[in-house]
Formats: sequence, structure tokens, C-alpha cells
Amino acid sequence: MHFILQGFWESLRLLFGGDSSTYEIALRSLYVSAAALGVSLVIGVPLGSAIALTTFPGRRFIVAVINTGMGVPPVVVGLIVALFLWRTGPLGGLHLMYTVQAMIIAQVFIALPIVAGLSLAALQQLDPGFRLQIMALGAGRWRSFWLLIREIRVPLMAAVMAAFGGVISEVGAVLMVGGNIIGQTEVLTTGIVTNVSMGLFASAVALAVVLMILSFTTNYAMTLIQQAGLKQKS
Amino acid sequence: MSAGVTAGPAIIEARDLSVVRGGKTLVHVDRFALAQGEIHVLLGPNGAGKTTLMRALNGLEKADGELLFEGRPVRSGGDRLRLRRSTSAVFQQAYLLATTVRGNVESGLRIRGVRGDELRRRSDEALDMLGIAHLAERRRSGLSGGEAQRVSIARALAVDPAAVFLDEPMASLDPPTRRQLLADLEAIFRRLSTAVLWVTHDTEEALAVARRVTFLADGVVVQEGATADVFNNPAAQVVADYLGLDVWLEGTVRVDEAGAVRLLLLDGAELVCGEGEPGPAIACIHPDDVMVFLARPEAAGTSLRNVFEASVRGFRPAGRSRLVSMDWGSHRIDALLTRAACEELDLRPGQTVYAAVKASAIQLLPKGRAAEPEQARTS
Repeated sequence: MHFILQGFWESLRLLFGGDSSTYEIALRSLYVSAAALGVSLVIGVPLGSAIALTTFPGRRFIVAVINTGMGVPPVVVGLIVALFLWRTGPLGGLHLMYTVQAMIIAQVFIALPIVAGLSLAALQQLDPGFRLQIMALGAGRWRSFWLLIREIRVPLMAAVMAAFGGVISEVGAVLMVGGNIIGQTEVLTTGIVTNVSMGLFASAVALAVVLMILSFTTNYAMTLIQQAGLKQKS
Repeated sequence: MSAGVTAGPAIIEARDLSVVRGGKTLVHVDRFALAQGEIHVLLGPNGAGKTTLMRALNGLEKADGELLFEGRPVRSGGDRLRLRRSTSAVFQQAYLLATTVRGNVESGLRIRGVRGDELRRRSDEALDMLGIAHLAERRRSGLSGGEAQRVSIARALAVDPAAVFLDEPMASLDPPTRRQLLADLEAIFRRLSTAVLWVTHDTEEALAVARRVTFLADGVVVQEGATADVFNNPAAQVVADYLGLDVWLEGTVRVDEAGAVRLLLLDGAELVCGEGEPGPAIACIHPDDVMVFLARPEAAGTSLRNVFEASVRGFRPAGRSRLVSMDWGSHRIDALLTRAACEELDLRPGQTVYAAVKASAIQLLPKGRAAEPEQARTS
């Protein structure tokens, strides 16, 4: 029991004692996940919308691929990205292996199917008459897109939270393509794993506490955005 | 037949227009025109293709054939967008955007680039017109069905459209809400010069607002004409069956000092009615309520009656009874008689008879927009 308590005290010291490396790791985690989420939103929302609002041959197959993508284990994603970025791999010339960029790329492939799949489902749930009404208002293609996105704001924010939760807590892919290089590619999850494997429980607990705080704060902020303007049911 | 013609130049005109989906022709019209300032009702049973035709006419759906908007052909997607920007539409559901009532009413204006004071002024006007200024800051979740539909209509009228398309706008509302909104819309459209294409399956709604009626069945136009013409002279069995057996007579209600209510018909003939408010109205006479006599009946001792000297036009079976059609001046009067009564009277086409209706049996429907004199039937 002794080392659990010790770990807890140690974590408080690391957190509030101004340990720069802990903050650095937390910030890097946030940076990698936020960047991956941003890229996924920019690609995923238009992609999901395009699939939801148009018909073309092979559409159901694409939807099935996206839905599968939502559940692919991160280690598998990491493996595939690693194979491509490996020195002798197809994209080896880019020298991205064991960099923050590689970690972002891997996480994009985890978050993108979640964002695309959930925005697709949300748009399909919307009454088709809504789209006609927006067109009848005189909206062109892009205006229609924005007005529809505003209609699915609530489920879309749920997609953002799900995707963020998926990447901030993910360890397999970032470990494989980032390598957990101290001071370069170490993030909260990989730090926890390696600290535990070295028996450094206190450091692991500290990073875990930071991860939980980070996760809760961002989700709380996103929830506030999501629920803003929604009428409270009394 | 009617000399009634469309009120002005055509805003929207279709020639040989059809909507084909999956190899099936959903709707085909040889010619259709929506004229400036007219309220034109697309009437017909469910599944007749009314909504599909409306969507082809306002640029929501691609269609084959020729479509003209203000005389210019509508062919490309860009043409259809311009058509939609110059018109507006209201559907059975209000489809309000996730914003305030004012935000909704402003949305069409914003899309058209209206900003600042003008945006505020025009949305205020539209809110006032529909009587919903007090709801301006409410969100859609707090509105009743009738309020939401008013917002949708205000949003459609705020853009000052060349034509408004209404697709079953009353179908989701309860009867009192529907009656109130119908009366308000009547008054609003009377003031505005916008053309209105109103899709409905409800004959009373059509009678209350329509100046012209196009009857659609199985994707084709069965009859098109001035409202009174279509209702009184159905051109096909499908129209007659749909409209029912009632006879509709259009005119103006006068109430004299003694309180007697009379409907002055367009050709000068008069009907004595039970009750009604002064103003334009349509009288509905059910053939069940019409009696037929060979000699003029004595009015003494009976309730006040309308007695018309008429000539028998023809018969047709109606269930176990027979429907006798008679010409009364330029009007048609129908009576539903039992087979025995028919044999007893021994009626023949061309024979002069007396049709009688109790004043209390005549139902008056107020009609806001009076028919133009040119619509008087001259046959």
C-alpha cells in the first residue's frame, strides 16, 4: 500500500511543484491530439456530409469502411502508419518516423472515421425536408452545408468529444510511431506505460492524474459549447 | 364555359414538363402557368404528384421539358438556384432553423445579402404581417405548431418573393388553428401582389383561397380553370368523385335590416340563406337537401325556401339513389332522389321542374378574395 500513497503524494508534488517536464508532456499530448482532431474535422465533416447528402455507386461500401474504421484497434493503425513511414517504407523519404508529426498522422486515422461516421449518421437522421427547406430559402451549396452543420451541432459535438477521447487516451499508435523519446515524443499515455514498466509508479500516477484532469476539462468545455442555447427541460 | 383568364403575365410557365425517377414518370404536364398575383391551387388526391410538380416548378427538382421563370428558360443548376432565390416555399412542417424566430425570418434575407437596417426593417414587417412580433426572440423549441408555421410563412414572405409555393401548409395543424391561419393568409395574400401556388388535398381549403384550380390525378392535369368552374363543372369522373356531390355557388352575402341573409350570385340571381356574415362567400348545397317538384310548390306553411325554376339536364346513379342534374340559369343544381321518387316524377331531360332548398340547408363559406367579374360564367 505504501507505494500507492507515495505515488499519490509524488504526483501532487509534480503537479503543483512546477515540474517542467510534466507540463511539457501534458502540453505535447494536448498538441498532438488537438492537431489530429483539427485535421480530422476539416476532412471528416465535409466527407461525412458529402456521403450523407449524395448518392453514388459504392456508397454503402464506403459507409461500411468508415464504420469499420471507427472500431479499428489503434495498434493496427499505428502498425500501418509505421510500415509506411519506416525508413525503407513507401514514405520513408519524408523522415517522419519517431516525430510528433508521425503521431499526429496516426491519430488522424483514428479520429477521422469517428468524425466522418458520426456526422454522416447525424445528417442522415435529419428530416430530408429540412434540406429542401434550406434549398428553397435560396441557399447555395456551401450555405446549405453550413446551415445543415448548424442543425447537427449537438451530435457533431458528441462526435468531437468521442474522437478527442479516443486520441488523447490512445497509447498503441503513438508509442509505435513516436517511440516515446523523452523530451521529444513522450506524451501522457506513453509516459505512463514506460514509467510503470520501469517501476516508477509515482511518476505514472502523476501523469495519469494530469491525463484525467486534461480529459475532463476539455470535455467539460466542449459540453458547455454543445449545450449552449439548448433549452433546459424542466 | 368560363371566360376567366389568368390575372397577369405568367411568372412561371411549364411546357411539356415531366419528372421521371427510376424510369417512372411521376408527373407530366402539357402546359402549366402561374400568373402574377393569382392564388393557384394544385388540388388532387394523395399521390397525384402535386408535391413533385411543385418541386419541379420552383427549382427544387430537376425536370425534363421546358420551364420558364419570368419568361427566361430554367435549365442549369444555376438557373434553378436563381429561381429559388426569387421565390420561396413553405412546407407541411415548419422546418425552423436552430436559432430564434427572428433569426429564422431573417435567414432568407441574409442568404440574399440583405444586412443592417434593411434586414431589421424587413424582418419586422414580416413578423408583424403574421402577428408574431411578440415571439421574435423565442427559440423554435418553445413554439406551438401554428406559431412555428407562421414563422415559416413569415420567413417565406420576408424576401418579397415573385412567387410563394405552399405545400400542404395547413395539413399538420388542428382545425381551429387552421381556420385562423387560413383567414389570415387570405387577407395577407389579398394585400400582396405575389403569385401563390398552393398545394392541398383539401377541397374546402381550395375553395377558400383559390382563384384558379389545377386538378391533378395520377401525375397528369385532369382539369384546370377558375375555381367555380372546376367545382361546378367537373370535366372528368375523377374530379367529380373527388369534389363530392355538393354544388358550390359563389357570390356576395348581403344582410338586410330585418336580418335576412341573402347570397347575391355573380349573374344577379339570389339565394336565401340561414346565417352568414356580409362579404364574399361560397354557398354549398348538398343534393340531399334539394327537393324536386313538377309544379311550383306553395311557400305558405313551410320554412323559408329557395325555389328555382330549372330544367332537367340528366341523371346518373349515386349509390342506391339517383343524382338529378338541373340547369338553373347559368348554374347547376343537383338533387339526390330515391329511385322510387324518380319513377314517380317521371323526369325527362329538358323538362321544366322546380327545385327547392331550405335556407337553413345552405352552408356559407366566407371567401376573402372576391372573384373578378370576368370570372362570371356566361354559358
